[in-house]
Amino acid sequence: MKGLFYSSWLILLGLLAGCIDPYMPDVISSPQSYLVVDGFLNSNGVTQIKLSRTYGLSGGTAAPKETRATLYIEEETGTRYQLRESSATPGTYLSDALVLNPAVRHRLSFSTATGQTYASDYVTVKITPPIDSVTFRPEADELKILVNTHDDRDASQYYRWEYEETWETRPLLTPELEYNKITDRLEPITVYFPLVCWSNEKSANVNLSKTTNLNQDVVSNYVLRTLPAIADRLYLKYSILVHQYALTREEYQYWELLRKNTESIGTLFDPLPSQLSGNLHNVSDSNELVIGYLGAHSMTEKRIFIRRAQLPAEWRIQSGYDDCIPPNILYFTAIRNLNNIFGTYSIIPLYQVPEGYAITSKECVDCRLRGTDVRPAFWQ
Amino acid sequence: MQHAYRLVTTLLLCISVRAAYAQQPPEKLVSGHFTHLPFEQFVRELEIQTSYHFFFDPPAVDTLFVTLKVQEQPLATVLQLALQGTALHAAFDDEHRVYITKDVVIESLAPATFFSPAGSTPLLERPVAEARSTATPGRSRLVSAAEARVYEVGRGGGAGKVTLAGHIRAQTNGEPVIGASIYSESPNVGVSTDQFGSYSLTLPTAGRYLLKVRGVGIKNTQRQVVVRGSGQLDVEVEEDIVTLKEVVVEAEKDRNVASTQMGLERLDIKTMRQVPTAFGETDILRVVLTLPGVKSVGESSTGLNVRGGATDQNLILFNDATIYNPAHLFGFFSAFNPDVLQTVELYKSAIPAKYGGRLSSVLDISTREGNKKKLSASGGIGPLTSRLALEGPLVKDKSAFLLSGRASYSDWILQQLSSKSFRRSSAQFYDLTAHISHEINANNTIYATGYFSSDRFRLASDTTYQYVNQAASLKWRHSFSTRLVGVLTGTYSHYDYDIRSDANAVNASRLQYRIDQPGLRADFSFFPNARHTIEFGASSQFYAIRPGSLTPRDENSLVTPDVLERERAVESAAYVSDRIEVSPRLSVALGLRYSLFQALGPRTVLRYAPGEARSELSVIDTVRVGAGGKVATYHGPEYRVSARCVLTDNSSVKASYNRTRQYIHQLTNTASVSPADIWKLSDSNIRPQVGDQYSVGYYRNFRANTVEVSVETYYKTMRDFVDYKSGATLVLNHHIETDIVNAEGRAYGVELLVKKLTGKINGWLSYTYSRSLVRVNAGTPAEQINGGQYYPSNFDKPHDVTLVGNYRINRRFSTSLNFTYSTGRPITLPLALYEFGNSVRVLYSDRNAYRVPDYYRADLALNIEGNHKVNKPAHSSWTVGVYNLTGRRNPYSIYFKAANGQVRGYQLSVFGQPIPTVTYNFRF
Repeated sequence: MKGLFYSSWLILLGLLAGCIDPYMPDVISSPQSYLVVDGFLNSNGVTQIKLSRTYGLSGGTAAPKETRATLYIEEETGTRYQLRESSATPGTYLSDALVLNPAVRHRLSFSTATGQTYASDYVTVKITPPIDSVTFRPEADELKILVNTHDDRDASQYYRWEYEETWETRPLLTPELEYNKITDRLEPITVYFPLVCWSNEKSANVNLSKTTNLNQDVVSNYVLRTLPAIADRLYLKYSILVHQYALTREEYQYWELLRKNTESIGTLFDPLPSQLSGNLHNVSDSNELVIGYLGAHSMTEKRIFIRRAQLPAEWRIQSGYDDCIPPNILYFTAIRNLNNIFGTYSIIPLYQVPEGYAITSKECVDCRLRGTDVRPAFWQ
Repeated sequence: MQHAYRLVTTLLLCISVRAAYAQQPPEKLVSGHFTHLPFEQFVRELEIQTSYHFFFDPPAVDTLFVTLKVQEQPLATVLQLALQGTALHAAFDDEHRVYITKDVVIESLAPATFFSPAGSTPLLERPVAEARSTATPGRSRLVSAAEARVYEVGRGGGAGKVTLAGHIRAQTNGEPVIGASIYSESPNVGVSTDQFGSYSLTLPTAGRYLLKVRGVGIKNTQRQVVVRGSGQLDVEVEEDIVTLKEVVVEAEKDRNVASTQMGLERLDIKTMRQVPTAFGETDILRVVLTLPGVKSVGESSTGLNVRGGATDQNLILFNDATIYNPAHLFGFFSAFNPDVLQTVELYKSAIPAKYGGRLSSVLDISTREGNKKKLSASGGIGPLTSRLALEGPLVKDKSAFLLSGRASYSDWILQQLSSKSFRRSSAQFYDLTAHISHEINANNTIYATGYFSSDRFRLASDTTYQYVNQAASLKWRHSFSTRLVGVLTGTYSHYDYDIRSDANAVNASRLQYRIDQPGLRADFSFFPNARHTIEFGASSQFYAIRPGSLTPRDENSLVTPDVLERERAVESAAYVSDRIEVSPRLSVALGLRYSLFQALGPRTVLRYAPGEARSELSVIDTVRVGAGGKVATYHGPEYRVSARCVLTDNSSVKASYNRTRQYIHQLTNTASVSPADIWKLSDSNIRPQVGDQYSVGYYRNFRANTVEVSVETYYKTMRDFVDYKSGATLVLNHHIETDIVNAEGRAYGVELLVKKLTGKINGWLSYTYSRSLVRVNAGTPAEQINGGQYYPSNFDKPHDVTLVGNYRINRRFSTSLNFTYSTGRPITLPLALYEFGNSVRVLYSDRNAYRVPDYYRADLALNIEGNHKVNKPAHSSWTVGVYNLTGRRNPYSIYFKAANGQVRGYQLSVFGQPIPTVTYNFRF
């Protein structure tokens, strides 16, 4: 409602002889590059830290990775553990499986390839209680996925969750033919497309809750995820893995502000955003901005599966391939050159019909475009 | 000279003076030891000791010094002794008057002889010539006669101070003249008329005075008065028809240097008319924005930021009733019809104790009373709006009415535009003002004002936006005596908005907000003597707010109704202030206001865990406060102190301190004021705002008071004003306190103003250096903004230069040039993108760390007056102007849009090219 009104207002302003020019001051068009530290000190397991840099508003493919840095987890008492850069994903650094002593404070200390030294503040190690349950509740036109947890010691209080969704996808169409470039003919298929794939997505939004207003440290039915009743990821089988983290109050507030700050892009009428102040610093230049807040805690997780049969029968869940049905027909009369049509393998022949060939796009038959055909180890 | 007047004019009028030379003066005896005392002082001594008044020609006595020692002697004997051996003679009459003459011995005074109009004696000639010389040539006979006449006021007898009270009114239409000065030069006492045109002047003794009257838009005049005791004197003055000269000069002449008040900007409608505007229409808010210390975030925003204060910290009063949204069409027009306005006063510091409830300033807008003599009309036709005002007497000289209306025809213009989306748009507004004044008798007058403004528009979308301001006030002014005047005022203010969406039947909804505010106040002015002016009074107002409701339009709509609970509160205050003339050089004004605010039930109040950032998750309790219960009570004193010290005849230094408290807050999460902003009362979770301001100024007039220079500097602190957390939701928020933070602010600056208001070239040039800084450092580091450091507020524009210049080519043509430069306002910029927590996020700069490009604009206008025959049936004028002469594309707003993984910045200029306008004004 409000947004609608404001856009109306802009129209009015534009109407009154207004004009719109691009606005790209130097600070935006040639931005400084700041270091981004993403991760946490895992008090019971492998710590994974991603180092990257900010990049210009005009976009780009991905954030530049900060490689060849040297990272240590340091105890306040002096003991330190090194992290090693993953060879598979540059810019990601991994520790051994460690158990950090919760009685002492820890920090992350690292130096970049250029010799700059950074450190986080020392932080208290929190112990994350186990997730009691992850449940789901179908409602009128949506599915809610809920988390329950509690801490008998009343010590956690601030919670953050991440999740990773995995779901089966099965194309509705199965090709019986394939184009043979050598013979320039459509022949019975020899290299089959996978029948089933597993798509995967990590949560992008920030999920937080706190129990400071309760006299017990209990999170009951926190709505972690809401899926519309037609969501294709519910079509066959869906799984969600929930990671739970207990945060300190400061870390919680950092995440809360991050959520408010960045879930909408600033227009004139959006709330005023402001820079987040994390707990990482350049040791020799305290004015340098380093993005991120480093906490130390353990992680607990729980996975559930939801099958189609567990959901209301009347839900008209989409397959994700509904648009592929029915397939198009390539009439014999329209064929001049098979190579021109099928040579790039983006159009896939399905089968022959009396007037020609049923065809479809690769997207409709190759589920690997949406995931992997390697069955995940956890898949039941 | 004064004594000469006394002599001559009394002679003129004393029809029945019976000479009584050497007649035994009664009772009162004289004692004293006089050593080489000038005769004039000697006489003053005698006047104090006896009930006699002396009349003489000063040049005749200026060489005479009296050395005398007397004990309990009759006056006649004392005089005889004093005048021994001189050529002077004394004569007494039975009205206790003593005439001192040189050489001539007054034996008997025959009335007929002395009242001859020709005035043949040498003694008479001088004062008559004097009177003529002060009168402007070509003045009406009536006024000249009034100036020559000697008025007698009060019944004699009383010794000590006397008070003269009355009204100053325009002779042509009987309207009160506000802010006119009436003063005597010897002794130096004077006062200004209040908003009703009334004054109360305390004189040190009974006696004869020459009172001068100066004011905005009136011709200078004077009255000769013999004051025998306290009484009433009404003065009718001529309107100054020549608009460009003499207008503001005289009013400001005394005020700049001599007035105790500082930080006050007073504008009259004639000055405002000269300032060019975008749509050719005189716009008071736009003119107020040219004053030093007043800023606004955007070009078409009428939100005023006075001395680093937020837009909600201004009390806008229209004939004493609060106006919540003073703008039409989102700030392109101010909501007041210029035809009905009399003056606009903006208090930036030293806010009188009478006013309260807002932190930064008071903008007091008063309408004219209407023509009490004859029916007349005035109006104007502009490119977007037209206006008409009708006024006239209901009972001649006793009561008048004033009706005015203004409406836009922007709808019609939209229909003419070729674009289809414009044709589906609609934008209309109008406002109506009605004012009635009635003088029941000399001591009782009643004033009633009604105001209504409405805006409605719809812009190529399915959302109709509507808002309404209503205000009414009823005033009864009663003079208990010449020294005590009381005004009882009842007011009612209303503001609401209504946003209707009917994009489709399912989503059709209405979003509504409304505030009602009835109030009652009693104000008294008491003038115990010439050294004190005491004001006291009390006020109380009730607020009823419906903070928001979203309701479905009809039964087809599936929108779930969402209604916020109503808020109610009572704000009361009592005040007393005293302006003390400690000495002719030093005057001090002391004021104390005590305000009490009670938020009332019934209401549900949320309690939050202490020490936690407030959020839905930190609610520890929900308390139901029943009807009649109190949700929260706040109260506190507000100090108002100011002082003036005159250094020389044309320079002075003033200083002031004031504290203000504010219990109602405007919630606007955007940089500029928009009509969807809501007003929120203080409650148990939102504390009142408190502000302190210290201010010092130096004032100096040059070139016979025609050039005024002032330098004012101020330092201001504010606490608990409202700022917002990142991502705050303000509309339909059931727990708004979770999105609000209490900020503290400080502002300081220097304002330099040079004004020249006479001559062919007149106008003003102001330069302001000011800073306005905010700090949010409560709570944890994550809650703090910019690490808990001070950062520039949204309206922090350090440098500001404004020139308003008029050049009068001749009496019919004049040109106005308006030039404004200011530093660009602060902005928070998105700087870069980064990946964090499985998502691409935007990195913002520190809040308000950057600035938009500087603002700069020049406007030009040509005013063409009709001919200057005073008595022709209709007066008309044309205003031709160009707004934004250089076509500079000043950014109104800067915004960012995300598309295809890119974030792009855009700059929107509202008036990106020169805008020509023509307006026709008339009056008959």
